[in-house]
Amino acid sequence: MSGVALAPAPPARRKRKRGVTFYAYLVVCIGLALFFVLPLAWEVGRSFQPANLAAATPRFADFTHFTFANYRAVFSQEHILTNVLNSLIVAVGTAVLTTIVATLAGYGLAKFRFRGSGLAFAAILLALMIPFQAVLTPLFIELNDMHLTNSLVGLILVYTTFNLPFGVFVMRNTFQQIPQELIESAEVDGAGVMKTLTRVLRPLIVPGLATTAIFAFLYSWNEFLQALTFLETDSKLTLPVKLFDIDTSTYGAINYGYLSSGIVIAMVPCIIIYLALQRYYVQGLMSGAVKG
Amino acid sequence: MSRVTEKIDLAPVLTPGGQVVEEARTAHRAPQSARRRRRARTGALLVTPALALIVAFVLFPLGFAIYISLTNWPLIGSYHYIGFSNYRELFSDPEFRHAATFTLTYTAIVTLPIFFLGYALAVLLRANRFGSKVFRTLFFLPFVVGLTTESFMFAIELQPGAGWVDWVMSHLGLASSTQAWTVTHDRTLLTISLIVIWFASGLTMLILTGGMQGIPRELYEAADVDGASWLKKELRITIPLLRRSIALSLIISVIGSFLAFNQFFILAQNNASLETVVEWVYQTAFTSYRLAYGTSMALLLVIVIGVVSMGQFLMLRGEEEQ
Repeated sequence: MSGVALAPAPPARRKRKRGVTFYAYLVVCIGLALFFVLPLAWEVGRSFQPANLAAATPRFADFTHFTFANYRAVFSQEHILTNVLNSLIVAVGTAVLTTIVATLAGYGLAKFRFRGSGLAFAAILLALMIPFQAVLTPLFIELNDMHLTNSLVGLILVYTTFNLPFGVFVMRNTFQQIPQELIESAEVDGAGVMKTLTRVLRPLIVPGLATTAIFAFLYSWNEFLQALTFLETDSKLTLPVKLFDIDTSTYGAINYGYLSSGIVIAMVPCIIIYLALQRYYVQGLMSGAVKG
Repeated sequence: MSRVTEKIDLAPVLTPGGQVVEEARTAHRAPQSARRRRRARTGALLVTPALALIVAFVLFPLGFAIYISLTNWPLIGSYHYIGFSNYRELFSDPEFRHAATFTLTYTAIVTLPIFFLGYALAVLLRANRFGSKVFRTLFFLPFVVGLTTESFMFAIELQPGAGWVDWVMSHLGLASSTQAWTVTHDRTLLTISLIVIWFASGLTMLILTGGMQGIPRELYEAADVDGASWLKKELRITIPLLRRSIALSLIISVIGSFLAFNQFFILAQNNASLETVVEWVYQTAFTSYRLAYGTSMALLLVIVIGVVSMGQFLMLRGEEEQ
């Protein structure tokens, strides 16, 4: 976890003149930035066009026909609010549950000695190697028997589990950096485990908590295959599966205006959360425990 | 361990009663070991929820999968033990063989472009010049938004005669607006590969950037004094010191490609020649209702992925030992 800050002290460029290389660098970077961002930005523009233009040759003049019609329709016709809320419940629920469970386990593994702790850590790291795609079918039967298919709770439990190996790894690293003396002095003062965690250690583990929570949130917000497999009724679908339904609409022509506004609704929270909490996200990537 | 023993020696005041020195030493070990037992119990208790979830939703399903794969379990209805016939059928199934070959081909196509583009982006922004933080953020945005949402986005934009992809390509003289992008096998594979390269290279960039920042600047300065060329510096300093990050980015990328599903399921549903392994598992289990047969394939996938991610596992363990 060392050396995670992506921007160390800028090199001495105080007096150096900005030569040709600098402008070449700038031009290349701006070009690349357009390459990476323009397709996303275009979709935002597209979502504010009248739906009939989505089926016509693109022209920049089309963007002057600014309208909220797609958004109004996707809420009134497709009732997408339900699906947005489902996604929000699942993503927030997973983020909270993952963070709590991973914090407890990370604390236990980093600061307590007990028989089998090595084995427990190995089991958790091994779970990192098992992709959910590999156990999709038995998971379906298991959840079905537990009456947890077509259920947001079931989805939260499964998402949490597959985010745990990463979360435990991050939290364990975080706790390992806290001096043992601090914990012991808290205990001498009579604080129990929970009190030590929530009162004494909380400020020190915030970066780890943020990293774990962001990864769990983004994973659950974007996840498609499990949601597609485990959810059935329209009122339970998360946003990506709802978009799939709009995309493969059986009621005739696909409404690309609806789809584009749904895409933007799915896109915006990810971008906002990433921009706001970028530092913690990058720290998570550097831990090395990311799943493919 | 040493810290714990120190602690014991510091706490003789806690011992009840005054004994002879020799006995006292063994006597006041009692409350200490009670404390240690209590801490051990607490530690085990703290790990329990995480372990319970992992056993319930990862390890148990894995064992269950092995059992299922030895039966003829349909999605609904009765089943019985059939031994290894699912596996035997698998190896002679042309559909499965096609999906496996296709997934490997796709992985072979995207892995190196993602790596080289990501590496180039990391090098470009390495010197932390003006604006490099902003550019790094922008280059990474496609990964943040996620491939599922972006697949829907391209479902719109790949429409012939309406999407911007077609519009741009026909202005560059590379396509005519009459043919759909996701009809022929080669064209669809190429298009989806380009989308994935666009999506994933930012991740490689960030992983490599993290590694690059751990390389001491002095090494480059010393090489400059020796008059080393840019290429020589990359080959002799950057790449050897970046081994771990390079390996990590490649492993993540290869696993991601082996598990490819969303982009093909969303953009090429109707094209059976573009079916990945995970798509095949999904279709076999949930569309053709041959749950057991699909599961046997999924288990082979665990083994393949396991071998690849063993590298990641060993790296994480290696870091522990340092």
